[in-house]
Parts: sequence; C-alpha cells; structure tokens
Amino acid sequence: MRINSNDIEFLVGNFDVLNNMPNVPVLPMFSDKAVDFLSELSKELLNDKRVRGYIDVISYAYWIRKSSLVTAKNKHPDHKNRLGRGIAFHIAPSNVPVNFAVSMTSSVLAGNINIIRVSNKQFEQVNIISDAINALLNGKFSNLKPYFCIVRYEHSNLITEELSSICDVRIIWGGNRTIETIRQAKLPPRGIEMTFADRFSVAVINSEKYLQSDIKKTAKGFYTDTYYTDQNACSSPRIVVWTGGKIKEAKEIFWKELEILVKNDYDMKPVQAVDKYNSFCSLAMSSQNVSLNKQGNNLIMRIDVKKLTPNLMDYKNGGGYFFEYDAKNISEIVPILTKQCQTISFLGENKEEIKELVFKNGVRGVDRIVPLGETMGLEFIWDGYKMIENMSRFVYFGE
Amino acid sequence: MIDDFYQLNPYELNKNDKEILLRKELMLLTEFHRKHCAEYSSFLNAVGYKEENVKSVSDIPFFPVRLFKEYDLLSVNREDVFKTMTSSGTTGQAVSKIFVDKETAISQQKVMIKILSDYWGKKRLPMLVIDTHSVLKDRKMFSARGAAIIGLNIVSKETVYVLNDDMSLNFEKLQNFLDKYKGQRFIIFGFTFMVWQHFYKELLKLGKFFDMSEAFLMTGGGWKKLQEEALSRNDFKDRFKKLCGIKHFLDHYGMVEQTGCIYAECEYGHLHASIYSDVIIRDPKDFKPLDIGKKGIMQVVSVLPHSYPGHSLLTEDEGIVIGEDNCPCGRKGKYIEIIGRLKNAELRGCSDTYADKFK
Repeated sequence: MRINSNDIEFLVGNFDVLNNMPNVPVLPMFSDKAVDFLSELSKELLNDKRVRGYIDVISYAYWIRKSSLVTAKNKHPDHKNRLGRGIAFHIAPSNVPVNFAVSMTSSVLAGNINIIRVSNKQFEQVNIISDAINALLNGKFSNLKPYFCIVRYEHSNLITEELSSICDVRIIWGGNRTIETIRQAKLPPRGIEMTFADRFSVAVINSEKYLQSDIKKTAKGFYTDTYYTDQNACSSPRIVVWTGGKIKEAKEIFWKELEILVKNDYDMKPVQAVDKYNSFCSLAMSSQNVSLNKQGNNLIMRIDVKKLTPNLMDYKNGGGYFFEYDAKNISEIVPILTKQCQTISFLGENKEEIKELVFKNGVRGVDRIVPLGETMGLEFIWDGYKMIENMSRFVYFGE
Repeated sequence: MIDDFYQLNPYELNKNDKEILLRKELMLLTEFHRKHCAEYSSFLNAVGYKEENVKSVSDIPFFPVRLFKEYDLLSVNREDVFKTMTSSGTTGQAVSKIFVDKETAISQQKVMIKILSDYWGKKRLPMLVIDTHSVLKDRKMFSARGAAIIGLNIVSKETVYVLNDDMSLNFEKLQNFLDKYKGQRFIIFGFTFMVWQHFYKELLKLGKFFDMSEAFLMTGGGWKKLQEEALSRNDFKDRFKKLCGIKHFLDHYGMVEQTGCIYAECEYGHLHASIYSDVIIRDPKDFKPLDIGKKGIMQVVSVLPHSYPGHSLLTEDEGIVIGEDNCPCGRKGKYIEIIGRLKNAELRGCSDTYADKFK
C-alpha cells in the first residue's frame, strides 16, 4: 500500500491487520462467530458505566443482543446460501456518532472483513464502542482480530483511494458532498457501493385519531423523531401533513404539547433561529404559497403551505422548522414524494393506504413507512437496502 | 425625506425625536421597496406585514442579511446600478451582492463624511491604509476590506497603501508619508488584525519610536483574532500609544449592506449609532427586542438603502446596547458593543446542514 502508516490513527486494529485483509477468508452470513461476537459486544457495552449518558449507545447495545440477532437471522431464510463479499470499507458520517457501529454490524453479519473510517470529530460514543471491541478482540475473540480496523485520518484522497482499491463493498454515509468526494476514488471492477445521501422525511397525522390518542406519548415520539437529532437526520419529518376533520383543534394541542418538551429539553443556539428564519424568508421570496404561522415561535417555527410542490424541500431546515399542510385527501402529498423522500411516519392513518399511494403512483421516493415516533428505530433495512443481503453474495447451487 | 436628516448633526437626536424621524423614514422605505422589489414584497406578505401595525421602529420587518447572497435584490432598474458591492468572504464562500445606484451612493458618502467629521473635524485628512493597493484592483478580493477603504477614500485628502502585495510593510512609503505629514492630523486605517500583524509587529521589530501622536487609528473587522492571541482592546491601545504615541482610536462596526452608516467609537470606547441608523437587539428565542444591557442578535436599520431593500436587516452578529442618550462623550442615541459573529452550531443528524452551504 502507498499509505504512510503514520497518517492513519487506528482505534481498532493496526497497519499489519489492514495490509493482511485481502488474505482473510470471508465468513458465512450470520456465522456463529459473528453472532457470538456481537452479542458479547452488547453485554460489554451494557456493563460499561460510561454508556449511561448515551441513549444511542444503549439502543445500539440492545439492538445487537443475542435474541435480537436470532430474530434477524430467522428473517433471512436464505442465509445458508450467502457469505460475505470480502472487504467492506465504511465511511461513517461526521455527526451521528453510533452510526459507524450500525454499519459495521450489518457487514459483520453478512460475513465481511471491515475497514471503518470514523469522523475526526471526537465522540465519547466512538471511544466506548471501540474500547469494547478491543476488549473482545484482545480476549476470547482474538480469532476475529483480522476482521476489524477502525480508523481515523485527515481528509486524504490517497488513503481513500488505497482503501477503495482493496474493498469489495464501499458504504458511504452522506451528506451528498461527502459522497461526491469519496466517489472520486475508483472501486475495483467487481466492487459495489451503497450510498446514503441527504434525504428528508414526512409525517402524516390524522387529526381525529390524534385527538383520541395518548397525546403525551405522541409528543414524546415526535420529539424523538425530530429534535433529538436536531431535526437533521434523514428520517426526521420536515413537514407535518394533517388529515381528517379536526385539524385546527389537533394542531393546537399537538404543538402545545411539543413545546413543553422543547422548552425543557432542547438547547437551541441563536444561530439556529437565524438559520430557520433565513430558510423561511428564502422560501417566501420564491413562492406565494407560504406564510409564517403566528402561533409558532423560534423554537418551533411553523410554515403554513397552501400547495405542495416538489421544490418545497429545497427550503427545508432543522432544529425545529416545520412545514404544515392541511390535506383533504392523503394523495395530495404525492408531489413531494421525490427521490429525496425517505420516511413517511404516520399516526391514525392506514399504512396499507400509504403504501398503495407509493406503488400506484410509482413515485421515486419513500423507502420506509413507520409509525410516528419510530423513525429512529434501528433496522437491518435502511434507505431501501436490505443491508445484510446487499453486503453479501448469494451462491446458487440449484434448487 | 433624507434631506430632513441632513439638516441635523449626526448625534443630535434623543430617543423620542429619533424614533419619530426614523420610523417615518423607514416606513416610507419599506413601502418603496415593496413597490419596486418583487421578492421583498413576497417577503413582506409572508411575514404578515401591515403598515397600520407599525407602532415603533422595532415593528418594521427585519430581512435576513444572508439572503443578499442568494438573491439579486434591486429596487431600481438594472441600468441604473452605478456599482455593485460585494461582501467579504473567504474563497468558495457565497458573497452578498449589493446594487447601488447614484442616489444611494451619494447619500452613503455624505453620511460617512458627516459621521467621521464629528470625530476628526470637517477637514479632509491624508490616510495611511494598512493594506495593499491590490485589495481594490482584484475584483475577487473586492470585499468588505475594499469597500471600507473606498468609502474612506472619499473623505481622505491623499491615500497611501503601505503594504506590499505580499503583505510586507513598505518602510519607504511609510517614512515618506510620515515625513510629509509630520505633526499634522492624519488617518491610519486598517482591519484590526492586519494593523496588528502587519503594522504594529513590523514597527516593533525596528525598535524605534514613531511619532504618530496626531493620528487617528481607525480599525474595523472585529477583535476575534486578537482575542485568540489574548490581546484585549485596551492592550492594543496601550501598545500603540507606547510605540507610536497614538492617542486617538476609532474602531468601528459596519457592513457592506449598510455602507455609510458606520458605528464609530468615541473617546470612551463606545460604538455610537448616528441618526441615520440604529440597532435593535433581539432575543434568539422569539426575536422580541431586548432591553439595554442584554446580549442578543443584532438587527440594524438604516435610512440610506434606496436601490436595494437593505434598510432593516437581521445580521448574524451578536451585540449589546450599552446605553442610550447618556454617553459621557455627549453624543445622543444608542451606543453598543459587538460580541461578534454568531457561533455555528454543531448539529447532529446526517444531512448537510443549511449553514454548510455558506462555509
């Protein structure tokens, strides 16, 4: 390799492990080794006192506990025909700390050898998980040592090119500019790529059903969907579409309940208020269909939209910035179900009906339809990919 | 009309009189821009502006200054644009474009002269610029630095650029200038950090005393970089006093979007709003105006922008109004302190953030 070993910081593994990776055998999908390793990792994490402050690490640890992995295995009935593709090169996003481990998990279960590049930003979550992995690899899972390198490096085309040249799967977590930059580095002829670009999401709430629901629980769920990630995750709803006959009443209670949580829990920075106001004004200058909702405020900025158009989401923002649309019929949302649309979360709507909308109209977007409050759930299916299957290959040997 | 203002001294009006005059003029401007700039008119509609609801200056909608980077905003015909000014911006950053017609340009100059002459007298003074001449020549570099220099050019008798293109100090030019204007009043102008880095430090190396006791050292562009070097404003002044005998310091705050209306520093170290402009500090939580002494986001209003809708702007700076009508220097109106640019938030989530587009 043309890489100078001093230019890479190894959180897990070392330069020799990295150099040897092309010679390491892949594992079958859901191999016992992988399942045992991850379930031990779950225990190791849950025993670490440091995880207490990190709900994201805890959720991750629960996601990879033994029973959860066995359930996942049962959902992959063809796993006996599948094994890893080879070396998986993961480029983790800079601002979702635990994401690198989520990406790695699918890949380990697929049977791959993993190089994971984590962000240069320091996150305690990354340290906690790397420490736990090291503890296992230096203990009873020493046989899996050849399968892991977790690295950090300053932006370097050379290193990215080298790591890309030996990989069989490249997984790039966005934003779009990161993807564009990484894509300059060539993949080998049989290398495949999975990219997770910038997306937006939509919430659909039936006003009548909402008023009958547990409004506190709904508020908490919606807060988790949005403010918990600064409303900046791909799965965070940017627009609330209201249906049903009691929209006015429902809105009033919904936003009031949310505001209680936001006031208590969300630390909005002054610059976010300016950012949101900017986005709104920019939108207002190019569209006649919007107005600032006077019941909103800087913590929860609400923009009434009279007509849904595909370019609306060019003016999206986070940190508590919501478009709102009153729909007579749910099919009115079709214009915004563009390529960039990832998740529709719903409350009081029939998910079959939403699915039908996607299929009947053949829209380019919508990869997930989940209940409101569950947009952040960890799944082995993401952005339209069945992750473990995509990272493995199927060996055909007849019926 | 702007002519009503010209009859007055720039720091003559107390709170109530200024409020009446400013509100009237700003409402006229709001109406003018509504009629002549379609995008601005949409903005007013979207924020629900109604003229009859304006009880005070603070009720006039504030327009985000960043949008001058995204839109070409004019309230005059393009053929009437006399010059286009651009804001500062490091490479790759979007820049503001400000379209200035003859009328606006003239009022900018007039007001700049009126404000500055309140500090150093009506006479035109020679000016030593701590920058390179190419800051004006190179269109790409024509930034806030260039705009400020051009603005001052108008009020100066002779302008000498004392830095070479590589930012080294041209001692010969400096010496000639000092010889020529020995014992006379003159202006030294530059951006704070450049003045420190390329002027003070170079002079210090020479190890001799320069007599600039009659000079006004005028600075701008903020103190952030010097704070990083743990140098306070007072340290800065003390050092210059010791090295060059400088007694008059005139820091200022201003922006290309409201050229002319600068906030200049008095002998008590306060930045003053003239009758032509004002500052309203707003609470980030709800954009409501904050009281004297409270830190918040700065809104600036100015009666000068005619050719573009820049008369009431929400800046991206934080500041405090320290007092009003009661500065010991005798100038009426608000006096302010600038905290600096709003800090970027480290946001979670996987999308590129909106603000990233402007980095």
